[in-house]
Amino acid sequence: MSEPDDIADGQDHSLDPRVIPMQRVAGGIFAAIQSVALLVALIVALLAGDDLDGWVRGLLPVAWLLLVVLSGLVAYRWPVLHYRHTSYRVDEVGIEIRTGVYWRVVINVPRSRVQHIDVSNGPIDRRYGLGTLVLYTAGTDHAKVELAGLEHGRALRIREHLLPSGADDAV
Amino acid sequence: MPSERRLHPATLLFDLAQHIKRFAVPAVLVMVGASRSSGGPNGAFGRVPDGWEMWLLVLLVPAIVATVARYISFRLRYDDHELVIRSGLIFRNERHVPYSRIQNIDAIQNLFHRLLHVVEVRVETGGGKEEEARFSVLSQEAFEDLRAHVFRMRAPLAAAAAHDKPAAPLEPSGETLVHLPLPELLLCGLLENKGMVVIGAAYGVAWETGVLDGFWEGLFGGTETIGRGFFRAIAGVLFEGQPLPLGRIALGLAAGIGLLLFVRIVSMVWAFVRLYDFRLTRIGDDLRTVYGLFTRVTTTVPIRRVQTVIVASGPLHRWLGRSTVRVETAGGVSQQKNASSVREWLAPLIRNEQLPGLLQQVVPGFDLAALDWQRLHPRAFARALKPNAIVAGVITLVAAFAIGWGAVGVLVLTLAWAIVSARQYVAHLGWAESDEVVVMRSGWLWRKVTLARANKIQSVALHQSPFDRRAAMARVRVDTAGARELSHRIDVPYLDITVARGLHARLAAQAANTAFKW
Repeated sequence: MSEPDDIADGQDHSLDPRVIPMQRVAGGIFAAIQSVALLVALIVALLAGDDLDGWVRGLLPVAWLLLVVLSGLVAYRWPVLHYRHTSYRVDEVGIEIRTGVYWRVVINVPRSRVQHIDVSNGPIDRRYGLGTLVLYTAGTDHAKVELAGLEHGRALRIREHLLPSGADDAV
Repeated sequence: MPSERRLHPATLLFDLAQHIKRFAVPAVLVMVGASRSSGGPNGAFGRVPDGWEMWLLVLLVPAIVATVARYISFRLRYDDHELVIRSGLIFRNERHVPYSRIQNIDAIQNLFHRLLHVVEVRVETGGGKEEEARFSVLSQEAFEDLRAHVFRMRAPLAAAAAHDKPAAPLEPSGETLVHLPLPELLLCGLLENKGMVVIGAAYGVAWETGVLDGFWEGLFGGTETIGRGFFRAIAGVLFEGQPLPLGRIALGLAAGIGLLLFVRIVSMVWAFVRLYDFRLTRIGDDLRTVYGLFTRVTTTVPIRRVQTVIVASGPLHRWLGRSTVRVETAGGVSQQKNASSVREWLAPLIRNEQLPGLLQQVVPGFDLAALDWQRLHPRAFARALKPNAIVAGVITLVAAFAIGWGAVGVLVLTLAWAIVSARQYVAHLGWAESDEVVVMRSGWLWRKVTLARANKIQSVALHQSPFDRRAAMARVRVDTAGARELSHRIDVPYLDITVARGLHARLAAQAANTAFKW
């Protein structure tokens, strides 16, 4: 666990499995807020829209219910898909990150191009002991490359491994 | 060398002039506006006594104080490895810029600067929206001194080459790579077509000041003859069988052609003023460009700071056997679009025969002609056609609502365009690799070739959309530093998935094996 060599093993790794419940909680909170906001909008619409046809008035709550169920389903299901399609590989020369369920991206960042690295974790991340690795390069489109859902300690060790070693002036 | 330097005393003058200029335009507008719209006994300014304009000058007092304070407090020092700039009287600021981080040094000399033998200097490092240091103004000797310091410290190898250059200030004395004589200069203006920009600016000013009032009426006898009336007449011919207004069409055509010619001529004047005596020289390991008729601009870009090289040519360029060459550096992705876009020019116009030589200077051992261009996937045309066909369909639908059955004609035209442009797009898109360079070309009428060296690649990405996956294709993108918002990137679509994987892996390995130097 402590030696940094086990990070740069050149193997494809999945994220920490705890990312699934973590994202479900985050997605659930988002879906709940969205549902409440839509509910308020629905009530306002029903109260204010006296001139609406009867069938429209009947349909609106059904539409709301459908949306709530749908966003709940997405919040429950999406983290699994995301987990399945995200992997990373760290080796001596850099890191390769694969993401995207439908639109897939494989991005390679050489170690020598990394400018600086953040490891951040929010309140939900911390509950599950997870962290997000954020790589910064001098590039334009991919100046910032994120990898969320790593075990926090592991994210720190990847950072240690990728950070440019002093003498080699990468900047 | 811990001795501190100040700016040239003329700084006071130029700073003040800057303030007055900024202040003068609104002031003049206020005065003109006051006299045109609200002056007179009934206007808003009517009750203000005459000569109130003079009181506006009071507003200049803070500017004068700020100018003097800036001059007094500004200090420049050359340390062993960095440039130290101290400024501020009340809020002190000390900025350290390591020589090794400096991307390029630009110097600008307008007519007044030239009279007083001073220059305005900008120092840029990678990243950031603005230049890291601006010295406005330094004496020419101080500028030479600055350049010598920065460049000697930064590139010890280049020092030997840089040392034997004589002390003639601002007159580059290296090997001249590109020089634009007068005919080429005018040709460049003709091809660049900057005329619209100039005319737009001039029109704006003229409109503001009211010079143009009555101009259009005088020229065309009221807006109804041309413009709406003119197009209404054309529509009448098309749909109602009215007689063809030949005179009007001729007038419209003549006006259009005249405008086009005029725009080109203005563009030539622009090129003459802006790029006069354009000269690209190589001094040691630096590329230096000097140009300008009134305002002389000197830019210095170290060759190893060049991120990407872009060779572009339009239809007219190719007909005349010319191209333009630009480079992108990581420094100063600046807000001032004009300044930066001109700075990147290696050659606003170059004969195609000379192109390989120039590229060799920037990327040693690179031969554009010897590249083994790779094509896209055989089915790329079918893929490229789809988005075009969708656009054609949408246009047809809109047209169908507007003109009914005439939309069939629109459909034929847009579909023909969709097919031709997709075919040409695929035919002209290509990529190539050599030992340390990756190159991409694209464009049918306006062609661009972009090359990036492996040691400038920041990251390599392989993208696969759902459509890509269905067709077993992928897109490879190379990210470099300093690319502008709309600049041409290395971004190859419609590759066979195995080809794309191979390219992706090779580029990533190449990038990883070379140390990135800014």
